[in-house]
Amino acid sequence: MKRMEVLKLLLDVKSDGVSIATMQAIPDWYEIGGGPHMHLDNQGCMGGSSATGLGIAIAQPDRRVIIIDGDGSLCMQLGSLVSIASEAPKNFFHFVLVNGIYETSGAQPIPAEDKVDFAALALGAGYPHAFTFDDYGAFARELPAIMAMEGPVLVALKVDQEPADKGVPARPHDWADALRQSLSDVA
Amino acid sequence: MPDTLCESVPAALLHKEITALGLKHVLTVPDTAQKTFMASLRDDPAITTHTFSTEHEVIACNAGMWIGGMDALVLIQNTGFFAGVNALRGIAIDRKIPTFLVIGQFAHDVTVPVEEDPNTAVRLIKPVLEAMEVPYFIVDRPSDVGALPRAYAQSRAERRPVVCLLTAPTA
Repeated sequence: MKRMEVLKLLLDVKSDGVSIATMQAIPDWYEIGGGPHMHLDNQGCMGGSSATGLGIAIAQPDRRVIIIDGDGSLCMQLGSLVSIASEAPKNFFHFVLVNGIYETSGAQPIPAEDKVDFAALALGAGYPHAFTFDDYGAFARELPAIMAMEGPVLVALKVDQEPADKGVPARPHDWADALRQSLSDVA
Repeated sequence: MPDTLCESVPAALLHKEITALGLKHVLTVPDTAQKTFMASLRDDPAITTHTFSTEHEVIACNAGMWIGGMDALVLIQNTGFFAGVNALRGIAIDRKIPTFLVIGQFAHDVTVPVEEDPNTAVRLIKPVLEAMEVPYFIVDRPSDVGALPRAYAQSRAERRPVVCLLTAPTA
């Protein structure tokens, strides 16, 4: 699957939810209009997106939180799967873009790139639902039903390796303010 | 009994400060040095304790909660502080997230000054905090508990992490 294609599907279901994107998904997410409204980038601290999203999900239980994680990033804080399962936020939707490489740093393979099963890890950690898709049509067909589930849900999306030629845009240090303000305004 | 340079702070005293701050959420990877404090907080029906796998997650979750409009206490131990340094830097400092941390000096030999403790987790935390430009308060004895509301207020006013270091195990 192409990353941009699956991101467009996620944008279609974002609605009034909050999105958090990681690393190389960030420029594509902005390109299709996923940010900056109701959105947060996670860069400069790989592995932090899911736990940051967990905090938002706890504080805003009536709002969907959509995490756009990477396989390399998730590996850096794999224990977060257990912490998220423990909290069991019903509004937490965790999408992991699985391309088997550290894309930003030069496409080096992640550990066990040909063996690791993120959906199985999530289920083993205690997520009630987890899925893997490598076919765009199947993912597009099942996504509405997945978004109707009670979270936490993890979806591993097997995407093509792509050149990291867009760069990750630098964001101002008031990173959190706009989203905090938006969430406050609609509270 | 050897002389000690610090005194245990009763859990009830610390708990009272947290209640006075209006905090309802504690984010933790448990701290051996704060056993009694953690137990007291956990027994309080007005406070929810959230336990995490790593201190990195604790600091990230605190950021998310603050963005979502919720304040929390981060309660960890010195060894965990070192595990969470990258999140402290990349999230709490770089992104200007108010982060109120109470850190126990686990395994501190209370008969020697912190600066002379052979345990690097005890001895190096202050220099590392200073290198990271993170303000900290020392809580050596019960009369120092006023540091908690001061640290909390500073973390909010200056939008940064601020630490209270508990030198002795809580009573």
